[in-house]
Amino acid sequence: MRILLIFVLLFAGVCKAQKNSDPTPEEINEAKILKIQYPNDDLVLLESKDYVTFEYNKNKGQVFVKHKLDEEMMNIASRTDIKKHMFYDGQSEISNFGLKYRNKKTAYFHVKDEAFSVEEFFFNDARVKYTLLDFPVQGYKYFFEATKDIFDIKYFTSLYFTDAYPITKKEITLVVPKWLQLEIKEMNFEGYQISKKITFDADQNADIITYSASNLAAVYDEEQSPGPSYIYPHLLILAKSYVHEGEQFTLFNETKDLYKWYKSLVDSMADEPSIFKEKVAELTENAQTDEEKIKNIYYWIQDNIRYIAFEDGLAGFKPDESQNVFKKRYGDCKGMANLTKQMLIAAGFDARLTWLGTKRIAYDYSIPSLSVDNHMICTVFYNGKKIYLDGTEKFNPFGEYAERIQGKQVMIEDGDSYILETVPIVAPEINKETHIFNAKINNNALEGDVSLTYAGESRASFLYAFNNLRTEKKNEALEYFLNRADRNMLVNNIETSDLENRDDQLSINYNLKQENAVSAFDDEIYINLDYYQEYGKWLFNERNTDYEFSHKEYLSSEINLELPEGYKIAELPKGIDVNTKNYKIFVDFELTENILRYKKVFVMKNAVVKKSNFKEWNETIKTLQSIYNQQIILVKD
Amino acid sequence: MIKNILGIAFLLLLPTIAFAQSKELKKQLEIKNLVWNENDPYRNVTDVPETWNNESAVFIVKSIKYIYDRPGNSIEYTKIERDRIKLLDQAAVTEYSELKYTEGNVFYREMSRVTNTFFLGIKVIKPDGEEIEIDVNQESVSNNEGKKIAIPSLEKGDIIDYYFYSHTIVGENDLYQYKPVESTIGDNYPIVKFNFSLETEDDFFINFNTYNGAPKLQQIVTPTKKDKKRVYSFEADNVERNDFPRWFYPLVELPSYKFQVLFARSGKYENKAYAFIPEEANMVKTNVSQEEIFNLYEDKFRPYGNLGDVERFLKNKTFATQEEKVKEVFYYIRHAYFTNYVEAFVMDESNIMYPFELYGNNPIIFQKDEEFVRFFTAFLKDNKIDYEIIIGTQRFNGGIKDLLLESNINFILKVNTETPVYIEYFDPFATPNQISPMLENTNAYALKVVKRKSIEDIETIKLPISNYRENNATEKTELTINPDFSGISINRFLTYNGHSKMDEQENIMMYFDYVYEDHTKFETEPILDRVRNKKDKEKYKNEYAALLKKLKEKQQQDVKEKTASEYNLKIDNYSFKILKNGRFGKEDAFEYTEDFTIGNDLIKTAGQNYILDIGKMLGAQVDLSNKEKGRTNNIYMSYPRSFNYNITLNIPAGYTISGLENLVMNVENETGGFISNASVNGDKLTVEIQKFYKHNYEANANWPKMVAFLEAASQFTQAKILLKKV
Repeated sequence: MRILLIFVLLFAGVCKAQKNSDPTPEEINEAKILKIQYPNDDLVLLESKDYVTFEYNKNKGQVFVKHKLDEEMMNIASRTDIKKHMFYDGQSEISNFGLKYRNKKTAYFHVKDEAFSVEEFFFNDARVKYTLLDFPVQGYKYFFEATKDIFDIKYFTSLYFTDAYPITKKEITLVVPKWLQLEIKEMNFEGYQISKKITFDADQNADIITYSASNLAAVYDEEQSPGPSYIYPHLLILAKSYVHEGEQFTLFNETKDLYKWYKSLVDSMADEPSIFKEKVAELTENAQTDEEKIKNIYYWIQDNIRYIAFEDGLAGFKPDESQNVFKKRYGDCKGMANLTKQMLIAAGFDARLTWLGTKRIAYDYSIPSLSVDNHMICTVFYNGKKIYLDGTEKFNPFGEYAERIQGKQVMIEDGDSYILETVPIVAPEINKETHIFNAKINNNALEGDVSLTYAGESRASFLYAFNNLRTEKKNEALEYFLNRADRNMLVNNIETSDLENRDDQLSINYNLKQENAVSAFDDEIYINLDYYQEYGKWLFNERNTDYEFSHKEYLSSEINLELPEGYKIAELPKGIDVNTKNYKIFVDFELTENILRYKKVFVMKNAVVKKSNFKEWNETIKTLQSIYNQQIILVKD
Repeated sequence: MIKNILGIAFLLLLPTIAFAQSKELKKQLEIKNLVWNENDPYRNVTDVPETWNNESAVFIVKSIKYIYDRPGNSIEYTKIERDRIKLLDQAAVTEYSELKYTEGNVFYREMSRVTNTFFLGIKVIKPDGEEIEIDVNQESVSNNEGKKIAIPSLEKGDIIDYYFYSHTIVGENDLYQYKPVESTIGDNYPIVKFNFSLETEDDFFINFNTYNGAPKLQQIVTPTKKDKKRVYSFEADNVERNDFPRWFYPLVELPSYKFQVLFARSGKYENKAYAFIPEEANMVKTNVSQEEIFNLYEDKFRPYGNLGDVERFLKNKTFATQEEKVKEVFYYIRHAYFTNYVEAFVMDESNIMYPFELYGNNPIIFQKDEEFVRFFTAFLKDNKIDYEIIIGTQRFNGGIKDLLLESNINFILKVNTETPVYIEYFDPFATPNQISPMLENTNAYALKVVKRKSIEDIETIKLPISNYRENNATEKTELTINPDFSGISINRFLTYNGHSKMDEQENIMMYFDYVYEDHTKFETEPILDRVRNKKDKEKYKNEYAALLKKLKEKQQQDVKEKTASEYNLKIDNYSFKILKNGRFGKEDAFEYTEDFTIGNDLIKTAGQNYILDIGKMLGAQVDLSNKEKGRTNNIYMSYPRSFNYNITLNIPAGYTISGLENLVMNVENETGGFISNASVNGDKLTVEIQKFYKHNYEANANWPKMVAFLEAASQFTQAKILLKKV
């Protein structure tokens, strides 16, 4: 006997809707119109206002930021339940977080305050205040207000105009006192109608700068998008300096001030290289060349230091000391960069800490702000060259760079000064992946030898995935990878290169029997030649942002089919050859003697398909689909 | 990846209360010395058998100790688990690189204070023998859910040796039943030495047994006049890694153990206990006899309930048979005390209104299975209808003869009308004669109720089994190809019966699909009709309408995704409609229909002809890997079942069909079958398919026979036909 008391547990507010809180017919109408305008959204911010003021905090000797937010939210769907939330961290607090009904009477909702964990960090000081909010009918409104206090202006770096919900009317006001020198950079304003008004308020002795915008779409929830700093309009707030009691104090006036602060954190560390002296000796003693020494140290760090990050206050900016990372065998990017540096120094090399923003960040070091960088690596000066070593990149060969740091400006420590450089951009050929299948027809199957090779990032991602599998599952997993978990694909006699070697080309050879690829109807044979149909489903129909690949994919594939005796191809299909700035897609069919050569090349030259190219891209993919969709027909000779 | 090492579940009701620091540290040290001491035989063991060199990790020792005692008068419970594991690859290092745990806490349960203490100790042992003890207090961090620790110094080839100690003080009690424990000996990695011990004082009652070849429990410490302590233990060597294949019940085949401990102060409390208790505290109970079941339940199922509503329902009604009456009353109760309230719960949870005052002062809601049984038997008694109460255990627990734990028991009511009526479930879809597939064909005990007064006898019976024809899913699918061959429009009509119906009802239906049917049938008021205030009513109506709109949109979306995943295709223009709820009787089918379109995924161009992957319309089938084909375990399935497919293709004008022979298959044997036929009739191609599993269990020897028809079904999904231009 079993009693099931299961109900749909969708909602859990605590507040009962108030009288007179129901929407008026005009509001319901407004909601209906907005729903037509924003069919994929449930809520709209009719009005959203940011009001930012600055104060000098005498006790702390810091400039304090008060960021007040006022929103008028309207439900445009039938019923909507949301978590209204606001983040803060060790450098800020939320002093006020409240909701009101449409009649401006306070709505009492239970506000929760919790640690906010993200997968990237093992531990961080981010916290979230939130409440569960229900909008029972279309047109229902709440007013939301909250104030966030940021203790130190250096952590107040940007203000975005867009939100998770569309905004009808957006206003950002900054009250900038004359004692504070602030530069406001207007980013990604193109394509948006944003107006700006500056007035002087004599009472506050401050400029009041107000930006207004209307009808902003919600931020896009799309995978593999460029970082938000590339796509959404925002203000970069650069706090340059302030005057207190007649004395001027520099904040981040220039990049050298940013460096100076970073350097002060680095200088406060007490590294003890003696702890890993023996390990360095062990790693370098049998090395024949300097390059081999560097490689041994770099690879040891990749393989033995786990990425575990603590993003807690200053720990977000200051590397953990090298001996700690060595002993713990874990660390974040800064800890790994510093251990790489210290171990290389112990081995007699010139190695330095290096700051950078990964590909997600649109800025470079012309902007003196903490929002410029989010990553740290190590630069080794070797043979007159600067080589970048990123311990967080697993199975990354010496001298090759991950897509996420390529082309990015780096700031390399250089005593009291710094060096700006750019990480080289590599050609897609570096990541080349090749497939060759020499096939014959055997009843309803295609059968023959396959050889695959991988290099660059295609190799690194393969090695990383493979080496993180449980040993007893590795063989089975490799077989699954090759047969795509498809019963039609029988894989035998697998031979591979060393699957721990990150330097040499990776190769896998095997016999493949691909069943049910050949059908005979009447006197004709129909062949479904291409099982893989790479990129065949990649239509960008409803996408709003560029598609970014995780690396510059380069795939070359050949299927060489030996025709059975007495048969000829009814009609050789046509290929395609599209070569644009960002991608190359090439398919060709060729008959030489009794071999049908089917060749494909895909090159994602810059690891991106631009939104502006989606139309041509989609047309190319549709042509590709029609090629994939065609069967090869063999008729009797 | 974060590994949760907590084998037991803590109830976190109140925030942590810190203990006196020094006292806690002292206790921590005491526990540490208890686990890692000079006498620990595994202290220096670092090697694992060569046969396991290709494993991800190997337990050098896994040792679990349970202590149930009553120092002073408070009931306490302790579990100490110590694992020493050699990590052989990167996957194992990642697995153990972060541990998550919940610290001690204090909360109140039923007015009494419950205190939990939790300690964790971790050591990393390097290949050269260096031992690094982790300072857990220092290294751990807290977040909302509890604490976590990143294990430092851990590398491939290391040994991680950890223990966790969890201690619960329940407070003073005259009767306390601890949670039952059921576990396989094996784990995620192979174990060189498994060590289990159970320590109690001599006035605790123990039920304990091991199964499927696991070693028997031995008493190693006998209580004396001075010391009430007694200890039982067993050990196992070289336990292979657990592997859970498809269709498998681990506790039926793998070496495992089950136990439960109970404390009862005196005979009076022993009788109160809802458990099977050994006759004497100094005995370990290893199984439960018929008589014990009889004794335990004799009293528990005394008919009881306020039958006023039922009497009013029965007034002026006549029934052709007693059987009909029993069924109708069941449906009435299912509505009156269940579906009648569903809207109220929804209204409450969605904050639309506080609904419960609309249902009178003391609405009847069954909180436990027994309450329903007692209520229903009160009706039977009142109407002089004989019945029995059947006590069974679900198939994954093992047989009833091996029954040890009260929690493994399920009840069925057998009403002895003209044809017996079995009643088991009490949920919105429950119908008489539908008993859990987990009980079908099992041996069970029938408690005989004499003259509807008292239970006076018990006998072993075999519960009925459904056949594969009863548990049926039938799909009629009609395909119409777009004139330009760019896609296919599909209409499906689905009919479910028997156990197949129950799963589907739960997956597809939402409460609004059936509560109104019940309100009409039983002439009760839906919630909004109960609201008298006009203004309130209008407000609730609007808000409820908005909620229903949202829920219905979500339901359409959910069912669409379910269908898309069945075919593994992108589908569009989707709609579905429930035609029959199937809630009144075993033979009452659940039916719905859906319409959708797919793109050209199944159509291939071949010159001026087209190839259609028609086999894919069978939906995803079981694809056996080579490893699965070599299966060595017996096969435990949920129930015998059958699937019928009728696929009709409207042949596009100007085309003929070739390749009908690809659609004809015939594999049938004693385990099941896959049979398909195809024919063309005018402009329609019809494919008729039957797939069936004849039993809910097959011995491993029959596995190749199952493989035969499963492979046929899988092969069918590859079948293609040619649409040939005339």
